[in-house]
Amino acid sequence: MRWLRSTSNRLRSLFRKDAVERELDQELRFHLEHQIGENISAGMTPEEARCAALRAFGGVEQFKEECRDERRVNIVETLLQDARYALRMLTKNTGFAFFTVAVLATGIAANTAIFSIADAVLLRPLPYRDANRLVMIWEDATSYGFPRDTPAPGNFADWKSRNQVFEDVAAASFGASLNLTGDGRPEEIVGRKVTTNVFCVLGASPALGRDFRAEDDIPGAPGVAILSHGLWLRRFGSDPGIIGREVWLNNGKYNVVGVMPRGFQFPNREAQLWIPVQFTKENLANHGSHFLEVVARLKPGVPLATANVNLAAIAQKLAEEHPDSNAKVGAFAVPLREEFAGDLRPAILVLLGAVCFVLLIACANVANLLLARATGRRRELAMRLALGASRGRIVAQLLTETMLLALLAGAAGLLLSLEGTQFLSRLIPQGIAPLSGTGVDQRVLLFTFAVSVTTGVLFGIIPALRISQLDLVGSLKQGGGQSSAASGVRRLRDTLVVSEVALAIVLMTGATLMIRSFEKLVHLDPGFRPDHVLVMRTSLPRPKYNDFARRTSFYTQVLSRVGNLPGVVAAGYTTWVPLTNPGGATGITIEGRPQPGPGHSLVPNARIVSSEYMPAVGMKLIEGRMFDGRDGTASPTVALINQTMARSFWPGENPVGKRFKLGAYQATSPWITIAGIVGDVHQAGLDLPARPEMYLPYQQQDFFSPDWLTVRTAGDPMPLAEIIRQEIWAVDKEQPVVGVMPLEDLVDENLAPRKIQASLLGAFAGLALVLATLGIYAVLSFAVTQRTQEIGVRIALGAHRRDVLRMVLSHGLKLFLMGAVLGLGAALALSRTLGHLLYGVNASDPLSFAAVIVLLGGVTLLACYIPARRATRVDPLVALRYE
Amino acid sequence: MSKPTDLVQGTLDLLILKSIALEPMHGWAIAQRIRQVSKEVLQVNQGALYPALHRLEQQGWIEAEWGESENNRRAKYYSLTKSGKKYLQSEQANWERLSAAIGLVLKRA
Repeated sequence: MRWLRSTSNRLRSLFRKDAVERELDQELRFHLEHQIGENISAGMTPEEARCAALRAFGGVEQFKEECRDERRVNIVETLLQDARYALRMLTKNTGFAFFTVAVLATGIAANTAIFSIADAVLLRPLPYRDANRLVMIWEDATSYGFPRDTPAPGNFADWKSRNQVFEDVAAASFGASLNLTGDGRPEEIVGRKVTTNVFCVLGASPALGRDFRAEDDIPGAPGVAILSHGLWLRRFGSDPGIIGREVWLNNGKYNVVGVMPRGFQFPNREAQLWIPVQFTKENLANHGSHFLEVVARLKPGVPLATANVNLAAIAQKLAEEHPDSNAKVGAFAVPLREEFAGDLRPAILVLLGAVCFVLLIACANVANLLLARATGRRRELAMRLALGASRGRIVAQLLTETMLLALLAGAAGLLLSLEGTQFLSRLIPQGIAPLSGTGVDQRVLLFTFAVSVTTGVLFGIIPALRISQLDLVGSLKQGGGQSSAASGVRRLRDTLVVSEVALAIVLMTGATLMIRSFEKLVHLDPGFRPDHVLVMRTSLPRPKYNDFARRTSFYTQVLSRVGNLPGVVAAGYTTWVPLTNPGGATGITIEGRPQPGPGHSLVPNARIVSSEYMPAVGMKLIEGRMFDGRDGTASPTVALINQTMARSFWPGENPVGKRFKLGAYQATSPWITIAGIVGDVHQAGLDLPARPEMYLPYQQQDFFSPDWLTVRTAGDPMPLAEIIRQEIWAVDKEQPVVGVMPLEDLVDENLAPRKIQASLLGAFAGLALVLATLGIYAVLSFAVTQRTQEIGVRIALGAHRRDVLRMVLSHGLKLFLMGAVLGLGAALALSRTLGHLLYGVNASDPLSFAAVIVLLGGVTLLACYIPARRATRVDPLVALRYE
Repeated sequence: MSKPTDLVQGTLDLLILKSIALEPMHGWAIAQRIRQVSKEVLQVNQGALYPALHRLEQQGWIEAEWGESENNRRAKYYSLTKSGKKYLQSEQANWERLSAAIGLVLKRA
C-alpha cells in the first residue's frame, strides 16, 4: 500500500510537474502569508511583518528544491532536466559543440575501427567446436633454418600414436591444385588431401552427406571427396542431389560424399575440396619430406605447456630413432587462434595502444576547452550554487553536458569508422577473414558506446569537479577575473597540455620508426626485379603428365612459344616464384667431405628452373655462368647456388666447379657441378634473410614441378596475359592457367600489412600532432586573453614588445619541454614493444627521436607564436580599461 | 550557527507525527504547535518543516489534502495514515525507552 502511494506520488511529480509545482508554491505562500498576518496582528508594519516572516522561514527557494528532491523520481527527472539544459547550452554554442564532437568523433572512430579488427582477429571465437582446445603442431628445425617447419608424415604418425595429451591428431597436405573436369568446363581448384579424421578433430561435420570414414583412407580405396559450401554453391548450383555424383580430379574419379557447412574452412579459405590423403606404409615411415599441416585437439583440461613437454619428449625419442632425419628436430604446438592471428597480433595491439593514445589526447583537448569555457560560466554556476543547488547536482549537470557531447561524438565516430573498417579489413589474414565479416555488429556497437561513455567521464569529470569547487562570493563579485580558483584551473590546463605533448611524442616516435622500417623495406634489394614481370601457374595434372619427358616437352614448347612473342624479354619456369614458398628444401652431400653427423645435414632450398628464369625475374650472376643451351637432359648435371649457400657451405672457398649430390653420400644420384653463384633472393618475405638455395635445370631434375611461368615484358605486363594463355593452350588446350598477376602484386601483398600498419600509425600520429598543437595554442591564447591587463601594465611600464613575446613563448616552450621529456622517456620504454614490427631500424633510433622533437617543437613554436604576437600588440590603454 | 535547538531529523519527524495525531493540520499550524507545546524550547526552523512533511508523505506515514483554513484560505492539511499511526506508536515507544535510558545514565553518573 505504502509503496503504491509513494509511486503514484512520484509519477505525479514526474508527469504532472506543473500541478505539483503550483501546489508547492501555494503551500509555502500560505505559510508565509499566515505568518505575515500573525506578525501584523502582533503590531508590526506590513513591511516589517514580511521581512520577519521570511527571516523565520529561511531560504524559500532552497526549501522548495529540498521538497522537490523528496518527491521526485530523482535520477530520471534530473537527467531529463539536465539533458534539456545541456542541449540548450550546446545549441547556443554550436561552434564549441561542433569542434568538440569532431575531435572526439575522430578519436572514437579510430578506436572503433581498430577494435573491430582486433575483435575479428583476436577475440571472436573460431567456428570450430571448443576451438580453444585446437592446436597446430610444427616441427622445430631451427638448426636447418626452419624454426617452424611443416611436419613429415612419419613424425605426424608417431606424434599421433605416442602422445598422451591429444584426443586426436589430423593432418592435411600442402594445398594441391586439382584439375576439376568431367562436369562442365575444366577448372583448377585448390584441394587438400587430409587424413579422414580431420573434420572430427576440428569438431565439424558435413551439412550434407557423410563425413569421411576410416576405410576411405586405406590406399587404393575408391576416391571420395567432400566439397566446401562455396564450391558446391558456385560450381554445382547448390544441387541437393550432389551426394554420390562423380567428379574427375586430375583424371581420377571421385565420388562426392559430403558438403561442409557454410563458413567452414580449413586450413584456410583457399581450400575448396577435401579428399583422403591415403598414406601408404612407406609414407608413414618417411621422416624426411616435410609437407604436412598438423592439427590436434587437446584432451580436456590439458594445458598447452603439458602438451609441449609431451611433444618435446616424443621428438627427442624420434631424434634417437631416426638420427638422419630427426636429429635436432623438435616439435611444438601453437593454439589455433594464435596460428591464425600470426604476426598480426603485435601489430593490432600496437594500433590499439595508438588509438587509445589518440583518444586520450582528444579527451585532454576537450577537457581543456571545457575548463576554458567554464571560466566564462563561473557566474552562472555560482548563481546556481547560491540558489541552493548542491555541489553534486552541479557536477551531475556538467557531466550530463559532457556525456551528451560524448554520445554525439560516439554516433558520429561510428559512422566515420564504417569507412575505416572497409579499408582495414584488408589487414585481416586470409585464414579468418570470411569467418568474421568485419563491420559493425553489436559487439562493436557496445564497444563504441562504452568508449563514448568512458570518454565522457574522462574529459568531463576533472573540469566538473574543478569548476564546482567555486569560491562563491568571489565569483559573484568579480565575474570571471583572477582568483585562486582560476590559477588552479590554469595549472590543470597546463598539466593537460603537457600530457598531450607527451602522448603525441610517444605516438609520433612509434609512427616514425614504423615508417622508416617500411621505407627500408621498400628500398631494399630483394635480389629480383619485380617490375615488368608477369607470373602464372600451370600445374601439370597427373596421371596425364606422369611421364618426365612429356612434362619436359610441355615446358620447352611453352617457353619457346612465349619467349618468341613480341614484347617478351625473357620467359622462364620455376617451382616457386619469390614470396610464395619459404621452403622447398632437399638434403645434399658435398663431394670429398665426410658424411655430416646427425643434425648437421646440409638442407638448402631447391628451385627447379629453366635457363631464362634468372633474366626473367632479374637475378644477378655473381660468379661463374648462368644456365644456357648447354644444360640439356643428356648433358652433365649442373647447379647454380646463391651467395648464402656459397658462404655457408664453402666458407673461404670458391665453390664454382665443386660437386655435390642430392641425398646421402651413398645415394645413386649423379654428382652435380656448381656452374655459378647468383645473388640472394628474399624468398620467404622481403624482411626475412635468404636461406642457402640452389637452382637446378628442369631438364635434369624434376623432384619438384616447376609450376610457375614468369615472363619479363618490355612494356606493361598485364596486356600480354591473354596472348600468353593462348600460346599455352596451343601446347595443351586442356591445361588450366591460374594466378595470372604481375610479380609486383606479390611484392605489394607482402608489404601490405606493414604498409597499412605504418600508414595507420602515421595517420594517428598526425592526428596526435594536430590535437596537441591545438591544445597548446588554445591554452596560450586563453592565457594571453586572461593576462591582457597584466601585459598592458607591463607595456605601459616600459616593457619591450620583445620581452612580452619572450614571456608568452617561454610559457609555451616550458609546457612543450616538460611534455617532451616525459614523452621521450615513455617513447623509449614503449618503442621496444614494437619489437619485430621494426625492420632495419633500432627501437631507440636517435634520428627518429630527433625528427619527432624537431617537428613537434617547430609546430609548437608556431602555435605559440600566434598568441605571443597578439600579446605584443596589446594596447596598454585598452588593456587597462579591460573589464 | 545558533539555531536554538538543533533537531535531529528523526526527532522532527516524530514531533510532526505527534502534532497531527489528533487532527489534520497545515504546515504553519504544525510549526506553531511544536513551539507552543514545547513551551518555546523547540523552535523548528519553519522552512525545514516542509521538506520533512514531503518526505513523510512520500514514505506514506502521512497524507495531504487541500482544505479551507480558519481564515477561509486554501491550505494543505496533513493527517496520519493508518500505517503512520502504527509507526508513530512504535517510534514513540522507542523514544521513551531511549530517553528513559539516557535519563538513567545521567542521574547515576
